[in-house]
Amino acid sequence: MQNSLLLLFLILAGIIIIIFTYVFLSSKRDEQKQDGMQNALQKRFWFILILFIVLAIFASITIPKSPYFIFADEQPAKVIHVASRQFYFIMSSQAIDPENPVADASIEVPLNELVEFRVTSLDVNHGFAIYNPTNELIAQTQAMPGYVNRLRWKFTEPGNYNVYCLEYCGMAHQGMKTSFIVK
Amino acid sequence: MENTLLKKNTALWIITILVLFVLSIILGIIMRLNQGAVIQLSPVTFYTDMTTHGLTMIGIWFVAGMAGINFIMERYVKTSYWANLLAYILTIVGVVMLWVSTLIGNFHAGWTFLYPLPFKIMWSAWATPLFLFSLTTLGVGWLIWCLSLVTALLKKYSIPQVFAWQHFKKNPQVETPPFVLISMISLVGIITCLIAAVILLVLLFSEYYSNGTFVNDALLMKNLTYFFGHTLANEMLYLGLAILYELFSEISGQPKWKTTWYVALAWNFTLIFILTAFFHHLYMDFVQPEGFQIIGQIASYSASLPAAGVTVFSVIVAVYRKKINWSLSNLLFFIGVVGWVIGGIGAVIDATISNNFVLHNTLWVPAHFHTYNALGNVLFSLAFFYWFSKYYTHSKSKDRFSTLKLLFIVIGGIGFLLAFYIGGADSIPRRYSDYPEAFISAKALAAFGAAFATVYLIGIIILFVNISNRCLRILFSRS
Amino acid sequence: MFKNFIFSFLILVFIGISITQAQAPNWSEEKNIYEKISDVQLKLINGENISLHQLAAQRPLIVALIFTRCTGVCSPLLFQLMENLQHVPSNKNNPYSVLVVSFDPLDSLKDMELMARRIELQNNKDWQFAITDNIDQLNASISFNPVWNDEIKQFDHDALLVGVNSDGYITKKLIGLRNEKEIGLLISSINNVFSPTYRLPTSSNLFSCFNYDPTTGKNTPGLGLLFIALPAVISFSLVFVIRYFVKRKAV
Repeated sequence: MQNSLLLLFLILAGIIIIIFTYVFLSSKRDEQKQDGMQNALQKRFWFILILFIVLAIFASITIPKSPYFIFADEQPAKVIHVASRQFYFIMSSQAIDPENPVADASIEVPLNELVEFRVTSLDVNHGFAIYNPTNELIAQTQAMPGYVNRLRWKFTEPGNYNVYCLEYCGMAHQGMKTSFIVK
Repeated sequence: MENTLLKKNTALWIITILVLFVLSIILGIIMRLNQGAVIQLSPVTFYTDMTTHGLTMIGIWFVAGMAGINFIMERYVKTSYWANLLAYILTIVGVVMLWVSTLIGNFHAGWTFLYPLPFKIMWSAWATPLFLFSLTTLGVGWLIWCLSLVTALLKKYSIPQVFAWQHFKKNPQVETPPFVLISMISLVGIITCLIAAVILLVLLFSEYYSNGTFVNDALLMKNLTYFFGHTLANEMLYLGLAILYELFSEISGQPKWKTTWYVALAWNFTLIFILTAFFHHLYMDFVQPEGFQIIGQIASYSASLPAAGVTVFSVIVAVYRKKINWSLSNLLFFIGVVGWVIGGIGAVIDATISNNFVLHNTLWVPAHFHTYNALGNVLFSLAFFYWFSKYYTHSKSKDRFSTLKLLFIVIGGIGFLLAFYIGGADSIPRRYSDYPEAFISAKALAAFGAAFATVYLIGIIILFVNISNRCLRILFSRS
Repeated sequence: MFKNFIFSFLILVFIGISITQAQAPNWSEEKNIYEKISDVQLKLINGENISLHQLAAQRPLIVALIFTRCTGVCSPLLFQLMENLQHVPSNKNNPYSVLVVSFDPLDSLKDMELMARRIELQNNKDWQFAITDNIDQLNASISFNPVWNDEIKQFDHDALLVGVNSDGYITKKLIGLRNEKEIGLLISSINNVFSPTYRLPTSSNLFSCFNYDPTTGKNTPGLGLLFIALPAVISFSLVFVIRYFVKRKAV
């Protein structure tokens, strides 16, 4: 996913650079008649219209894939409660008492079945980002004090998944990490 | 007859901004070097550095845009010299307070100081209130400055005129120059986000001084934080564009750009969209209602449409097969537009909720905003600085080595940004002082980025020496 | 203008401080979510014998646990539930029924029937009253732990409502007397409506931006939202005020 986005970005950036270079060079060619662009207003209208249509299509394709809508009508097979705190995650298959939080020794979640993470924070804002065994970011949500975010995901590859904090939370933010196993 | 006092003040702004810019770039390079394990800093030093870098950069490029539009606005209306000077003094005081709170007090909650992090004291206890007071000082100075400029505009133009509504009809009697329109649109946006900052600060102070009897709602605070932070960072770009609309044609030796109905319409739309685009910072907060998230995505797309569609096209039309007196100033403007558009593409990709799911808070985020700052907005302001310094020292000297300066900036910038983009695609988190071993490419990318940022810095220093020399002459000249 | 705004804002803040807190949800509501509720055999007051899962399969359930001799929270719990449910009637799109189960082994079907009569719900098809022989299993499956207090001859227990969807899974629990909104959220959850978030107890709910209203499925604006809208309103008003004054001065 990320690599195709990077590719898309590089292609679009390349097109922009080519267009601007071409336009720049056109202003330096002295032998040509300096006549400028014909019907600039009309071209601008088409340019904006096309841009608008492209963006509208892009929006209508991507919005249904938003994390709030995926797996919404399915029943999770497993619920993992997550309470984050400077600078560690507490994960448990049982509900977590904020006064006396206890983490499970290890977390296992089932393969190809719906898992729901109920993520909250006991102090500041944290991130809860799941990285697959090849260390690609596959899903994330924020941990906000006072609220519970429900992140639903189906894991299709078995293995060890790392979780990193992606919202800056203080001096040991870079070390805030946990992991779980998908079997 | 130009206003001498304003000229001197603008020269003062330029020198100050460039000094702070060079210092902040060095802070940035230090961060990348540390991430690349070339040097070894403690995490606290790193995050202190990060907080200072972020807020200083936002601050100086905002005031750079303001100083620029204030100077040019004098062509159309009488602006207040005292508001300009007051803003300068308060900015200096605010920045000093900020640097003391971070560099001495070790305050390191990030420039977004996301609630409740500033209250989890991991630094000298006095640093939190000092930091908040520094923001208050900056905010007050800037708010007064913005209001004084808006007042100056409204003295001459009525409300429909200043927003160029008469251009929706055929053959308007009065022409609103594009510069006036864009300045007004940006100033209203800036005043709005500064008021959001005031509310945010009042809520923070209430909690800080209530000894625990008053606790804020984290969701509200996050909304307000990005209302202020995102909108300010976005609007300051438009200040740069206002200058571009005024100066690009002038420097190129072309007729002045005119406001037409679609320019007026596009910028009026921008004013509205820009105020709801900040919702895209909260995509991963599922507590925000879905409706707002979708508004965020659509507003982020829409905000890019009119401004980019009109401005980019205007620049292309102005240059395509036209005779242009290319100088360093309009080249900087031209390249700045390219950087702005490319950064915008990165932004639109990230402002798509389903992409944000895997890009949020990775290096993709600094990648895109550094693109339209370091290779966009900064270049707009540098173009103005350069033009200003040449014009008012009546310097007729030909730009020497201008291609070389540009090459340093552009090549340095591209290499530095590419390291960020690739890092983002590699899922490397942003705001990490050191990278865990699992992120294999992270260290090499950081060192690579630092090397290219140094090249960028060299280009900036050459320009800085150039511009500052002339600005000092303006500052100490008799007339 | 600006001074006035700050002043009125500060007043709002202090009102906020003095307002008492809403009843805080309890963390143990998080227990047993998405586990199956024990499939105990129920005896209903209409004489029918049915298992809990079979009953849930007909319509998703709100399970209320009470005992008839209770002098404490049981009656208020039922009355308030009755009251709240009037605003969210059971219908095709949002079906549910309430199952009132006694957790006191001494309660007979007769006792339950009397109770139903007392609150005039004996003939309401949305309400079922039942006893079971396997109350310990049921309690264990929902982490409900009533303790007999010999001094006052009463059980110490939570006021507990458990949402069970038609597959027999526990989707949500509410502990304590709760408002209409939260009851609505409970009904949505047993009908498998996913809401990607919910809130936890905070010491101030006054400035929250949104309140989820499950009866309409929409978020209603909270006071916090005002603060998000306020900057734009103020700055646009400022533009008009400034223009008004400079024009007056010019004349």
